[in-house]
Amino acid sequence: MPKHYRPAGKKKEGNAARYMTRSQALKSLQVNLSLFRRLCIVKGVFPREPKKKVKGNHHTYYHVKDISFLQHEPLLEKFREIRTYQKKVLKAKAKKNEELARLLLTRQPTYKLDRLIRERYPTFIDALRDLDDCLTMVHLFAVLPASDRENLEVKRVHNCRRLSHEWQAYISRTHALRKVFVSVKGIYYQAELEGQKITWLTPHAIQQVFTNDVDFSVLLTFLEFYETLLAFINFKLYHSLNVKYPPILDSRLEALAADLYALSRYIDASSRGMTVEPKSDASSSSQSNDREESELRLAQLQHQLPSSEPGALMHIVADNNKEVEEDEETRVCKSLFKDLKFFLSREVPRESLLFVLPAFGGMVSWEGEGAPFKEDDESITHHIIDKPSAGHMYLSREYVQPQWIYDCVNARIILPTEKYMVGSIPPPHLSPFVDNEAEGYVPDYAETIKRLQAAARNDVLPLPGVGKEDLEDPQNLLYAGVMSRAEEAEAARNKKKMAELEKQYHEELKMELRGSAVDVAPVVEEVGEGEESVPDAANTQTAQDTSDMPTLLMSRKKRKLYEAMKKGQKKKSEAVEALEQRKKRLNAGQQ
Amino acid sequence: MGKRAKTSRKGKKAWRANISTEDIEDFFEKATKDALSGGNLSAAPSEDLFHVEKSHGLNIPVKRKIEKHRERVLRCDSVLKKNPFVQTVSSSKPKSKKSNKTIVIESKTPKQAQKDAGDDSVMVDLWADDSKGEHESKPRKIYKKTSTIPAVEVDPAGCSYNPTTESHEDMLAEAVAQEMQKVYKTELGPEPVPLTIEGDAINEDERYFLGVDNVSDGEDDAEVENEELEAGNKLARTTKRVTRVVLNKRSRQKELRKKETKEKYKEKISTEIDSLPNILEEIAREDEEKQNKLLRRTIAKQEVLKIRPPRLGKHKFEAPPVQVLLTEEMTGSLRKLKACCTLARDRFKSLEKRGILVPSKHIRRF
Repeated sequence: MPKHYRPAGKKKEGNAARYMTRSQALKSLQVNLSLFRRLCIVKGVFPREPKKKVKGNHHTYYHVKDISFLQHEPLLEKFREIRTYQKKVLKAKAKKNEELARLLLTRQPTYKLDRLIRERYPTFIDALRDLDDCLTMVHLFAVLPASDRENLEVKRVHNCRRLSHEWQAYISRTHALRKVFVSVKGIYYQAELEGQKITWLTPHAIQQVFTNDVDFSVLLTFLEFYETLLAFINFKLYHSLNVKYPPILDSRLEALAADLYALSRYIDASSRGMTVEPKSDASSSSQSNDREESELRLAQLQHQLPSSEPGALMHIVADNNKEVEEDEETRVCKSLFKDLKFFLSREVPRESLLFVLPAFGGMVSWEGEGAPFKEDDESITHHIIDKPSAGHMYLSREYVQPQWIYDCVNARIILPTEKYMVGSIPPPHLSPFVDNEAEGYVPDYAETIKRLQAAARNDVLPLPGVGKEDLEDPQNLLYAGVMSRAEEAEAARNKKKMAELEKQYHEELKMELRGSAVDVAPVVEEVGEGEESVPDAANTQTAQDTSDMPTLLMSRKKRKLYEAMKKGQKKKSEAVEALEQRKKRLNAGQQ
Repeated sequence: MGKRAKTSRKGKKAWRANISTEDIEDFFEKATKDALSGGNLSAAPSEDLFHVEKSHGLNIPVKRKIEKHRERVLRCDSVLKKNPFVQTVSSSKPKSKKSNKTIVIESKTPKQAQKDAGDDSVMVDLWADDSKGEHESKPRKIYKKTSTIPAVEVDPAGCSYNPTTESHEDMLAEAVAQEMQKVYKTELGPEPVPLTIEGDAINEDERYFLGVDNVSDGEDDAEVENEELEAGNKLARTTKRVTRVVLNKRSRQKELRKKETKEKYKEKISTEIDSLPNILEEIAREDEEKQNKLLRRTIAKQEVLKIRPPRLGKHKFEAPPVQVLLTEEMTGSLRKLKACCTLARDRFKSLEKRGILVPSKHIRRF
């Protein structure tokens, strides 16, 4: 019998031919491990898990096509060049030739990641889909302290901070923010952009720590890629607003670390100033002159802007030529804090609130230089404070805790401020990312919020609420399968009542047949009752028929599915009941 | 050695035949040749014989091997050589020189124009020509989305800084469960080998004699037993001769047994054929079971993928601890909140969870 013969050129078959281990990949690319890691991160090449791990369970496997994709990357050559250049620098230093080393360091070759971003995200929507991780990373590094040990430079931290502020200013301006959740880890935000929901996490205003179990060089490579990505996305977004990017901010405000405020003013200024610019284009000849002029003009405009209009978007919207198409939600969000003026105390999370409040149409100020309005401004409606007791309290404004703002934003209505008053523990902060209906269990506070929401909506709508309820009942009966517990109970009660009435009618009929000498009135009454009961009985019968009909018409498979669904619902409702019982017992025990 | 034929060397005549006179005759030939031609070559001065070429040098390109090969003509075509009007075609084709491509002057793309407009930041809208349509929606065919786990997972409601009691209790239960798992693992697992044990230090010499006693006793016993067995075997070796009767009996019995097995086999086949529908049923049942099992396994694998990444390297993925406030730490105030200060770890674990990074040793550098 001939041995298993493989033709000369063919190396391997199956999984062995398609996957290679990390060491094999390194050998084929002729690159060292740190470079390989950087390349993989930047190109988006990840290890895979083959069905059969040819070289053992303890290796990392990459697809052969991925590695050959890496091989044709011009950045590989660039990295190698940089490495050889660094060797030159080291050599100069070793030969005690400091001057040469310094000279070489100034002329180091650099690389750009623009092409890679275009390759990985051919459309804008693709880039938006990957924005979650990018934003979280950039926001995290914006608050990390610069450290020599981890190779984190101050310049980088500042760049991250600037990018994050630009993004926040854009979201704020276009009222794209939808949900906020304050958790132990940090503050989660969710915004909606071009139909994509983007969720990111911002750390609290606390000193972040470098832990031992995190490889920061890897994170820095990710950061490099994400910084470039975010810069391009910001550019595109600002262009859609017809605002020049990168923005030129008021230096005084920048120095005071009021970046967000400065950015919003810049956006307002440029959106107004766009009408002025075309003239300058025609006149000037050299391009640098043009730039300087526009910069000057921008600065002038910014100063001209009255200082009490940082987030005063109502005015902007009024005379905005290009109408950004707004959907219903944006309109609701824009008018949430309309006509309300907020003042932030010192101990309150300023950056977060400076982002959230203008995003929902409010005007904000804080203590310190460069703020739009001072603490003693008469027209302030709410003063956000987090101390156990407020000092001097003005009568014209309400003193609330910052959680009130977050809860209002999530509920999309202005909640009553009694529970959030200074000094008391506010009601629990619920997560807007949790769908209460799906869980089956609705916390108490959520129910109060729902009632308030319904009340707010009813005030707005005239009175078709009455008509709606009439339609709901028969519709519910006709739906195939999903009846809520309350309705089931009601139906049972109705059935019992109808059964009783039926019995009564039958008995009275019998009595009639037996004794003709019966009063007319009671007969009439009975008949009347009987008539009522007959149509009632008929009603219940029809009701039952209509509710049973869908079940009868379904195939066995669907019926079984329906029954399984009902079982699941029953289980859930039992669990909910158990929780409520427990709560009742607790309350009873407490009292 | 045996080059010469076996000739006797007796006598002068024999000797005369054996002496070779080749060198003398050669000399004579040479001398006559030289005289006829014009003189001894070695005697002639080198100037007559050699002529150093100075003028050409490197101008004449040395013929490359390949060109020499190209000059060669196939043997079958060599017949045609005789006819001077037929030109030979070389067997190997030379590389056709690449035609100079016409250089097209590209008009500047709008992106470049933007750049030239003195944009200091060198920022270009990457997706400017997006509106042309989604022609290149998929950049790579082999590209694979790493996992369905979202990049930023929002913490459940119990991790809020001011949670409801129920959700908070749920989260606490989860955190406790995580910790208890670790505790149980250490408790129920095998005991770790201790680093040091109580006892006296053993002398080096004694170390070699530690295991000696047990082994030597065993060996002696085994040897003695073997000897006895052999002696016994020798005595019982003798066997009787097999008679014809015995042989016949054996063959008859063999036949019987063969018959029996055949019959059994036939019966077995017939019963199997009779019970064919049963067998088919059994097969169908087994198939269904296997199918169900396969389905369950694939679904379980998919479900697991939603929680943790597939095993990509040597080490398993360890989930980060749940960030929830302890009951003592719950103050309900944002100012006094004991926030999480290790957000970098959260990002790192998220990358590992999605399968982008491979979990590595417990302790990273430093």
